[in-house]
Amino acid sequence: MNLNTLYLAVAGLVLAPLLGGLVAGVDRVVTAKLQSRMGPPLFQPFYDVGKLWSKVIAPASHWQGLFVRWALVASLASDVVLAAGGDVLMCFFVQAASASFVALGAFCGNSPYGKLGAQRELFQLLAYEPVFMVGILCMAKAAGGFDAFSIMAAQGQPLLFKLPLIVPGLLFAVLVKLRKSPFDIAASHHMHQEVVRGVYTDYAGRDFALLEIAHWADVTVVLWICSFLWATGPLQMLATGLVFLFAALIIDNISARLTWRTMLKTVAPLTLILATANLVWLYLE
Amino acid sequence: MIDAYIGLLVLWPVAAGLACLGLRGQAARSALVLGTAAVLAAAAVGLATQAPLTASPAFLSSATALHAAKGASFLFPAYFLFVGLKEKHALVIGFALLQLGLAAFGEFGLPAPALVQTAVVCDGLSLALVLVVSLVGTLISVFALPYMRHHEEHLHLKTSRQPQFFMILLAFLGFMNGLALANDLHVFSAFYEATTLCSFLLLGHDQTAEAKKSGLRALWMNSMGGVFLHAGILLIQKQHGLADIQALVDPALWTGLSLLPIALLAVAACVKAAQLPFQAWLLGAMVAPTPVSALLHSSTMVKVGVFLCLRLAPVLEGTTTGRVLTLAGAFTFLGASALALGQSNAKKILAYSTAANLGLIIACAGIGTPVAIAAGVVLMVVHAATKGLLFLCVGDMEQAIGSRDLEDLRGMIARTPVTALAAAAGSMAMILPPLGMLAGKWATLEAASASPMSMVMMAVGSALAVVCWVRFTGTLMSGVAVAVNPAPTSSLSTGPVLTMLAGVVGLGMAAPWLNAMLLPVGQAIMLPDGWALLPPLFITAMLAWILGMKVLGRQSAAKLATPYLGGLPSAAPGSFVGALGRNWTLSEGNEYATELFGEAKLTKIAGVLASVLLLALVGGALL
Repeated sequence: MNLNTLYLAVAGLVLAPLLGGLVAGVDRVVTAKLQSRMGPPLFQPFYDVGKLWSKVIAPASHWQGLFVRWALVASLASDVVLAAGGDVLMCFFVQAASASFVALGAFCGNSPYGKLGAQRELFQLLAYEPVFMVGILCMAKAAGGFDAFSIMAAQGQPLLFKLPLIVPGLLFAVLVKLRKSPFDIAASHHMHQEVVRGVYTDYAGRDFALLEIAHWADVTVVLWICSFLWATGPLQMLATGLVFLFAALIIDNISARLTWRTMLKTVAPLTLILATANLVWLYLE
Repeated sequence: MIDAYIGLLVLWPVAAGLACLGLRGQAARSALVLGTAAVLAAAAVGLATQAPLTASPAFLSSATALHAAKGASFLFPAYFLFVGLKEKHALVIGFALLQLGLAAFGEFGLPAPALVQTAVVCDGLSLALVLVVSLVGTLISVFALPYMRHHEEHLHLKTSRQPQFFMILLAFLGFMNGLALANDLHVFSAFYEATTLCSFLLLGHDQTAEAKKSGLRALWMNSMGGVFLHAGILLIQKQHGLADIQALVDPALWTGLSLLPIALLAVAACVKAAQLPFQAWLLGAMVAPTPVSALLHSSTMVKVGVFLCLRLAPVLEGTTTGRVLTLAGAFTFLGASALALGQSNAKKILAYSTAANLGLIIACAGIGTPVAIAAGVVLMVVHAATKGLLFLCVGDMEQAIGSRDLEDLRGMIARTPVTALAAAAGSMAMILPPLGMLAGKWATLEAASASPMSMVMMAVGSALAVVCWVRFTGTLMSGVAVAVNPAPTSSLSTGPVLTMLAGVVGLGMAAPWLNAMLLPVGQAIMLPDGWALLPPLFITAMLAWILGMKVLGRQSAAKLATPYLGGLPSAAPGSFVGALGRNWTLSEGNEYATELFGEAKLTKIAGVLASVLLLALVGGALL
């Protein structure tokens, strides 16, 4: 580990959640425009977190604070691993650990809505994790290495041309991780639905603020990995990430929520088969 | 000195077991078991300081010893035949007769193989199994002391059957150590059959109809495995005139030759490791008392299968047989993980998960590169400790509440906090980075880069495992509306649980260094991007631990919010006033998604596919 890696790691630690917060802001501005509303300012998510931070609310379980912090550390760690050019697969495992902690915190709470949300969160994990992992395997195969730097350094032809069939899978994962319709199954994006706020029901106040930051960090990781598809330069990567983001926002605004059964029985196998086909195809080349 | 260590590892437990049978008192038995634990631990650590080593202690290398091993190849099947005839079980009889036939052919129809160079070869792989048996195995035996006392209190037996139980349990440890260290195929197979016998006897220990049935099923399946093993050994003897395991795993010996004998040994290993489609015997084995499940059916005996595969792995590297074995292992990882997810019976979850993880290790063996083998050994050691811990915890909780159903175990953290938290930690150790199981899984996934289909199966299996274990932990830690009284515990059961927990965490964190030790010199640099990422992750995890504990300390004094129920909480706990002004009682349950992961349907499909893969394994080598 040299000093350069350290700088990159620190930059990842600080910038990634901020970037995720901006993504949340862009999301709200764009969604408002799509719905012909005024909408909040770009920095509204940061104001929201600040407000949450100032609230002291009785926790629903003694264990929640612990799991929230573990989730936050895991999410930030996955950003750092990626920023420092570490192993993308390990980064993804660390990120999945964060999702597990969020679900565990919900299990520990006392509201049935939270526990129902936790179960759904796990089924979501089951649906997107394999296809996203196969996507990473495809990228590693095409770029010739599992570490972020070798994938990002795959200059010349963007990976997209070799990996068109993993795009649906990546988009599916983005929708799930952004908690967007039709896959906002675990934590319904809008309140007053049948699961209230699902996996988030029992989180409140400062704990919830930290969870929001962890969510931003997650979003950055997922969009960042998607941007590897066109990694010929930083601007191109940013553009690729934004394309995925806008695609997700549009789908969110034109679709209704699916059930976890549809997700697990139809969407997950379909995207997985496509990604697997792409992987096999890479091997046949 | 080395001979003394080996003697203690193999012979002491057998002697202590016999002493258990003679001295029937509870105190004497406790002393013997605790003494064996100390002796085996000391001898295993002593051996580890000398490894890698070769030795020829008299009791494993003399002519008498070899005659005994030959005799065992007749005696064990003869006993199985006797059992089969007594119980009128056609499959047991059939496979016992086949084994006898093969033994007779080997004795009279083939020239004797060349004598082995050294009777004992202790390399990283053998040492790993010896340490698992001598440390994890003995801890489970200590746990068995209070467990079996409670167990018999429930059964209201007139005369205690604990002496027999502990005799077999302790002797089994000796057989396992012998199996790990033996370098002669015939000695190996004698110990192999001895473990089958121990498994059968311990399964039938409770003498209920169900126990008997499970015991017989385990017996016929494992004697079928024995038939494959003997057939493989005899073919090797015929082709090469060899019984020396070290000489035989030299890839140069097999260039241009059919790998059929190796494939047969691999199938035998798959039976022992309860791979699909042979998982039925392991599932049935869950009726046995918990220490038996923990010792034989998760942490040690089933490891014999993966041990054998890992031993053969150098021959498998880059061969079709190896590629098919990788696929079969990865398929079991996927199939058994899916089956585990659809289960609410906690012991069955553990059993399926065991089969799944053994599949992953077998996939490593099929890949056969030094990197993959090292990952497989790390997985073997870490899995033994972790799964042993989980079994002990489930057994302890089962004795406390009288049920092993996950739904009944909901909120156990309020009743048996120590065991429930240990179980939670154990299940997290199965899936969380940067601990050993996940690190091993990750290394396997990257080592399998020659086999895209197995990588995909591993990816799906890994997600299934995460869901399964998070749900398991979440259910144990689930918040409860009504306060309950803690259940009583014994220091002899919490002691092993906590020691094992420490071992699980320690081993989990030591995984990268274990891995580096297992690799040949100069190979460590060849790791893809390196396990070098793990130490920083450990530091991060420790910081997270400290942070989490501080918050836990602060929050554990906090007054909790009332449950959000989407209605008005009513005066009675666990109920609320909801729609239509009605009083609703709250009940909770997990979603097991049985329409997707149901046992009945999935077992059939997975069984057919796995059989096809194993047929391809043997058939591919035959052609």
